[in-house]
Amino acid sequence: MSAEASNPAATPTPCEDSQGDGRWMSQHVRFVSECKEREPDVVFVGDSLVQLMHQFGIWRQLFSPLHCLNFGIGGDATQHVLWRLSNGELDNISPKVVVLWVGTNNHGHTAEQIASGIMEIVQLIHNKLPNAHTLVLGVLPRGRMPNPLRQRNAEVNKLVQDALSSLSHASFFNVDPGFVLSDGSISHQDMYDYLHLTAHGYQAVCEPLHAQIKSLLDKPAEN
Amino acid sequence: MMSGGDLNPAAVPLPVEDRQGDGRWMSQGGACVCVQHTRFVQECKDGEPEVLFVGDSMVQLMEQYEIWKEMFSPLHALNFGLAGDTTCNVLWRLQNGELENIRPKVVVLWVGTNNHDHTAEQVAGGIVAIAQLLTNRLPKAKIVVLGLLPRGEQPNPLREKNATVNRLLRSWLPRLGQALFLDVSNEFLHSDGSISSQDMFDYLHLTPTGYNTLAKPLSDLLLQILEETPEERRASLV
Repeated sequence: MSAEASNPAATPTPCEDSQGDGRWMSQHVRFVSECKEREPDVVFVGDSLVQLMHQFGIWRQLFSPLHCLNFGIGGDATQHVLWRLSNGELDNISPKVVVLWVGTNNHGHTAEQIASGIMEIVQLIHNKLPNAHTLVLGVLPRGRMPNPLRQRNAEVNKLVQDALSSLSHASFFNVDPGFVLSDGSISHQDMYDYLHLTAHGYQAVCEPLHAQIKSLLDKPAEN
Repeated sequence: MMSGGDLNPAAVPLPVEDRQGDGRWMSQGGACVCVQHTRFVQECKDGEPEVLFVGDSMVQLMEQYEIWKEMFSPLHALNFGLAGDTTCNVLWRLQNGELENIRPKVVVLWVGTNNHDHTAEQVAGGIVAIAQLLTNRLPKAKIVVLGLLPRGEQPNPLREKNATVNRLLRSWLPRLGQALFLDVSNEFLHSDGSISSQDMFDYLHLTPTGYNTLAKPLSDLLLQILEETPEERRASLV
């Protein structure tokens, strides 16, 4: 039984231009162009947590040297990423690693739906890029104090981690260095609005992530 | 001139709601659990800023980049930017604690690009209403209103709207003696009308390069205001 038809999180859906300036599509078109012009070894894809990473010094320091492209768009949920990857953002490139970080913006979806959406993306990437390894990053906790979205995100991570454990072409990677403190709070020094990372927060996430990506890149190609 | 009051929905104070259920500040309607606002109110008790920045994500994001530490922290600045805020939200925040106990010499106001339900005239009126509130509460402070930047990769209706807001502000703000208008919009438009992702990574929010373009003239203006003493001002009138 296929879950996609009844799961909005796993149904490729472009973002509506509700504001009237076409920015989402402009960004998608730019990414498709980059696929024609560049030869990345690593492609990052996801939401604002991916997109903003590109704006901090840490990107140039750790990821530019690895020949990375950044296809993050703020606000994207799994169904938007699924649409983008189905419509050109994996064409004409053969990266060794795809880093996928998405799920926190799937409002109104259950943890199961979101996890299915993520697995649908993993499958799509494997179909289009059979030689690439997909690194799925855990969705971070959010909100200043404990709240339902933290539970939802933790559940998504558990489901995705389980589903990935049987695959050889994809793996789960937890990038949460322990943002939730002993009193249950998240500090605005790590997430300035309790969702988006500060430079300090990105440092804590990106150093282990960089090491993980490097180890994947350094592995001899599988037959 | 359209300004505040119940004729202009962009000048009606509105708290932001927590529709997503994780207790942050989300500009999408509902009951208010505004933890960032609470933090800003606390910062007013703890700090003695000379400069206060208030507005939407254009203000908020600035604090995350190096430029803030380099150019604005040294001026003893506080940043009360919140992503998604409209003029209504900023008005509410300023009326509900974010001006208590502080006496900044300058307030930098940058808001209006998220007022999707309002006309350009209403948005400009909302911005003027905020500037008026600031002048009432801080009679000695200068209010620096930043022009709304163009948005979208290519010309589109929101560019027209933001440009109209700026035109109206340019003509309405001088009536408030303490208000100044700074608009760097033209710096971001290429000859073919496009905006580069090198300046705005999503054709709305600024990259560090984009902020550099704004920061120099803004910093110069702030330094000018802060360094001006009453004696210097009298001398310059002679």
